[in-house]
Amino acid sequence: MHERLSFFVKRDSALHHLNPLTKIVLALSIILVSIFSPWYWTSHGLLLVVIVPLVFIGKVANEYFTSALRLILPAAGFIFFMQAFFQPIGQTVIFNFWFLDITQESLLFAFRIATRITVMISAFTLFLLTTHPSELMSDLTRRGLPPQFAYVIISTLQILPQMQAKAQTIIAAQRSRGLDTESTFFKRIGSVVPLVSPLVFGSLVEVEERAIAIEARGFTSKKAKTSLYEISDRSSDKFIRWGLVILVIISIVLKLWLS
Amino acid sequence: MFEKIKKDFTTMTWVLIPVAIAINIAIGQIVVLLKLPVFLDSIGTVLVGIVAGPWAGALTGALSNTIWGLFNPDSLPWWPVAFFIGLVAGLCANAGLFKNWWKVILSGFLIALTAAIVSTPISVYLYGGITASGSSFITAYLLQTGQGVLSAVLSTGFLVEPVDKITTAMLAFVIVQGLSKRLVARFPRPENAEVESGNNTTQIIIALVVVVVVVALGFVVRNMLAG
Repeated sequence: MHERLSFFVKRDSALHHLNPLTKIVLALSIILVSIFSPWYWTSHGLLLVVIVPLVFIGKVANEYFTSALRLILPAAGFIFFMQAFFQPIGQTVIFNFWFLDITQESLLFAFRIATRITVMISAFTLFLLTTHPSELMSDLTRRGLPPQFAYVIISTLQILPQMQAKAQTIIAAQRSRGLDTESTFFKRIGSVVPLVSPLVFGSLVEVEERAIAIEARGFTSKKAKTSLYEISDRSSDKFIRWGLVILVIISIVLKLWLS
Repeated sequence: MFEKIKKDFTTMTWVLIPVAIAINIAIGQIVVLLKLPVFLDSIGTVLVGIVAGPWAGALTGALSNTIWGLFNPDSLPWWPVAFFIGLVAGLCANAGLFKNWWKVILSGFLIALTAAIVSTPISVYLYGGITASGSSFITAYLLQTGQGVLSAVLSTGFLVEPVDKITTAMLAFVIVQGLSKRLVARFPRPENAEVESGNNTTQIIIALVVVVVVVALGFVVRNMLAG
């Protein structure tokens, strides 16, 4: 019931031992380099030379490739087809359908955008698989992020599964009093209100109770809080972070210089 | 300035934000399942904008898209849009535009304009104008007729957004009016949600009728464009 929504996989690897901030900087710089780099093959290269080896270093290959099949491939594939069909660029027509044509140029463009999306999602997935959300939040709080932000993020991750469980209870309760939830389209639309409104109003009414509870535990107190866990931040972490920042700056400069 | 913003972030606001994000995601997913011609993924954001001011709304929007990105990665790059939806909703509420049903239509329209303008550069730069959303069909058609990318994306936004954002604003208004006065009074800006004239039951009924009419119109327009 109080399960947290998280993709974290507990393994013992070099990637898991990195400081959480280093990992977030790594993910962001992969994304930024793939957006800003002026060369066509950068995103493809990043995927094969950086992300795939990191997946194996982080020992999360199974989980990564499952999520790649389930989440990344459909998203990227859809973008690829939309782009290939709808981009009106290029002369060399390969295939024509109604007012839409696929040209060589639009195929190349679609391939680039789809890979870029794959790189963005992969970098983010890799970060989520190897970082525990609470570890990230306590590290960021230690560095000066207001603790309220950490509360909002961790609490959302907790509330989502709770709400799903509550929705299941409401559906069961409404069905037991004869609400039609699975026949024709219009009947299903009609059943949205009795299903959604108890969920929404119920969770909003709980807000006050929650506020009183956390205020009683010193939520608004200004004193520095002590942490139960120590999070390592070695000098190699700092070295990696600055190296990545410099790489991003180089790619932005190159983009501005070459275009 | 900062003192004023700080006043909006009471413990009630901090606790409301996660619940609002969960509402965004829950309703957004139900709408996807029902294949309605709207997204309705920012009801919670607008709700926070009404009862806790523009900056709380903006924060809710930005965090909402970031967290939704965990299981729907495509929503991640659109966080600036959600940020401005919350901000504009809060500004409208401060100006008294959430006090009866026809004013809510106006604020829904203003939110829609903002969303269309903010999403255009993201769509053009990141996706070359064609995104994963179904409305890209219209953009593609406009591109084929020889319009520039920027104006094609912008006109699609102006066509599609009002239906969605007016419905969103209306439903947020209905939810706030449906809450007990005692609960609303605990939030930083209860005066934004006070109904000007008439009692709030009639306002809720009129607002729900408007929602049904707008969604039905959306259906008709979509079917006309598709067929």
